[in-house]
Amino acid sequence: MTVRQEPSEKGAAGAPRFLRYLGMPVFLGLVCLALYLYVSSQQLDSIEKRILNTGFLFSRVIEHIELAAISTVIVVVLAVSTGILLTRPGTRRVTPAIIGLANIGQAVPSIGLLVLFAIVWDFGFWPAIVALVAYSFLAILRNTMVGLQQVDRSTIEAARGMGMTKTAVLFRIELPLAVPIILAGIRTALIINVGTATLGTFVDAGGLGTVIDTGIRLGRDSVLIVGSVLTGVLALSIDWLASVAEDILRPRGL
Amino acid sequence: MTEEAIRDDKHTAETMIRLENLSKVFPAQDEPAVEDLSMDIYEGEIVVLVGPSGCGKTTTMKMINRLIEPSSGRIFLEGEDVTKVNSDNLRRRIGYVIQQIGLFPHMTIADNIATVPRMLGWEKQRTSDRIDELLETVGIDLSYRDRYPKELSGGQRQRIGVARAMAADPPVLLMDEPFGAIDPITRDRLQDEFLRLQQEIKKTIVFVTHDIDEAVKMGDRIAILQQRSKIAQYDTPEKILTDPANEFVQDFIGSGPSIKRLSLSRVSDIETADWPVARLTDSHDEVRDKMQRSGKGYVLLLDDQDRPRRWVGAEDVEHDDASLAETGRPAVAIVEANANLYNTLDTMITSYKGSAIVVDDEDRYQGVVDFATVLEAIDTMRPREQDRHMSPPEQRYSGTDQDLQTGGDGR
Repeated sequence: MTVRQEPSEKGAAGAPRFLRYLGMPVFLGLVCLALYLYVSSQQLDSIEKRILNTGFLFSRVIEHIELAAISTVIVVVLAVSTGILLTRPGTRRVTPAIIGLANIGQAVPSIGLLVLFAIVWDFGFWPAIVALVAYSFLAILRNTMVGLQQVDRSTIEAARGMGMTKTAVLFRIELPLAVPIILAGIRTALIINVGTATLGTFVDAGGLGTVIDTGIRLGRDSVLIVGSVLTGVLALSIDWLASVAEDILRPRGL
Repeated sequence: MTEEAIRDDKHTAETMIRLENLSKVFPAQDEPAVEDLSMDIYEGEIVVLVGPSGCGKTTTMKMINRLIEPSSGRIFLEGEDVTKVNSDNLRRRIGYVIQQIGLFPHMTIADNIATVPRMLGWEKQRTSDRIDELLETVGIDLSYRDRYPKELSGGQRQRIGVARAMAADPPVLLMDEPFGAIDPITRDRLQDEFLRLQQEIKKTIVFVTHDIDEAVKMGDRIAILQQRSKIAQYDTPEKILTDPANEFVQDFIGSGPSIKRLSLSRVSDIETADWPVARLTDSHDEVRDKMQRSGKGYVLLLDDQDRPRRWVGAEDVEHDDASLAETGRPAVAIVEANANLYNTLDTMITSYKGSAIVVDDEDRYQGVVDFATVLEAIDTMRPREQDRHMSPPEQRYSGTDQDLQTGGDGR
């Protein structure tokens, strides 16, 4: 029981944060447990049995995570670098055009964008990824630009005045100081992508949307419920992870 | 070179910074911000660029480290033409302090100070030692090393800003209204501290301000700038105050230049008057005796640590019954030896019997100054200037014929 002493020594200050981080996983665990108990209590027919088994659901969850994660990674790379470029002096003239394009990406309904890409290009995983990237691009672009623009001019002037190169100012001053706002944008994009990935099923990209769609089309409420609840649990888990990441990655001293 | 004309005869120091026909025209502006400016700044002096807002003083300063690239003209640093060298490398040789300080909020105090040494590739240990040394120099406790700027007060941040600028020991510091955003009391203290520091470090400093009083206090020489950074007068504070080159300078100095001039002399520079002192522990007879021998009507009582405590007059010690510690009047109107004459005079005016007690930095009695002493000091200031300008003092203070007398200096 001596092990217990250490966390208790951290005292009151550590406790609330610890609880805050713990609350969401506990809640999501309970939801999953309730879902499992619900499914176990049902008499499943052959269709339901084919879908409501660990192997099938696990594959869909992985597909879903892949869709959301890969699209988010791509959009982070693209949108953050575009945001950096658009805040440099000299590119100011093209900024409105790029923002306009990103706006279109977000303004078009997501299902329309998905299907459009599928028709023009192909059905499957990658067209879905491109659609997700186009859809969440603006969230990160806008936050990157705002994040970089809100860095105090005098801080940058002091850095330049001490002989930091423009590149050093960007990577050592501007980006670190923009991190909290950029992270908020990434979190938004991630949530958008987790939600929108459910539509991936319509372009044959898999994901938890397949479960929901099957439930609706075959009139199996248990399947529909499992699909919906799992999507919700996944979205909340990823949001929780993102919030933890935000706390850890935020530069100290801000 | 016009600079030669105003060069102080005693000045033998090397030219640290030379600006040659410097101009700056910003794009999309008709008027140049700086036009054909030439000036020399000598090693180890504080040159203050002062002028109304929009006169181009900050632009001028930023051209020295080429944060603003000059449109034409040349800049020399330590004799080297730096107009075209790599500007990032140039800036690492020049300390830079701005009004907003611009500490990096996401870096610790130590990391902030280490910025330039790290860019110059110093070894870790050397950088770390330098950080400790600088924190000590600017009077910040070493425990602040790992704190973040937001945990510091305005005055502390300003000190760190100065420490950061001096990190790689650059020969030149550029300071853009460094004390502008600080409350008056702290500002005064930081100015004093900085002047003391400068006694040790002897940097060449270009200091920008819009406040003539700050310029007079900080500057070894002051350049008063008009629109487009045209130099109205470039000279010592004494000379600018007693001998403004033209109407613009006169207007800019504002009222009471002769009184302002007093702020340039310190109490420690003048002879304090001889005053009878006694101890709180002395007997009434001894006090009476001292009073009589000195011929003054009052005696100053000191405590056992030489701190001034009370003034006592003849009537206060007539009767032996009253304790010396309670008789007479409390000794107020105390000034430190490094106080300037302007503040001292102010203290004297509000004091009892028109005299101020001078103490050292540990509050120990040093002497007494009264109006007569200050007047004497003012008198000794006068002839020197008279010789220099060969003009009668009463005309100099009339403030009407200035331009005629100083025509040779006007530019």
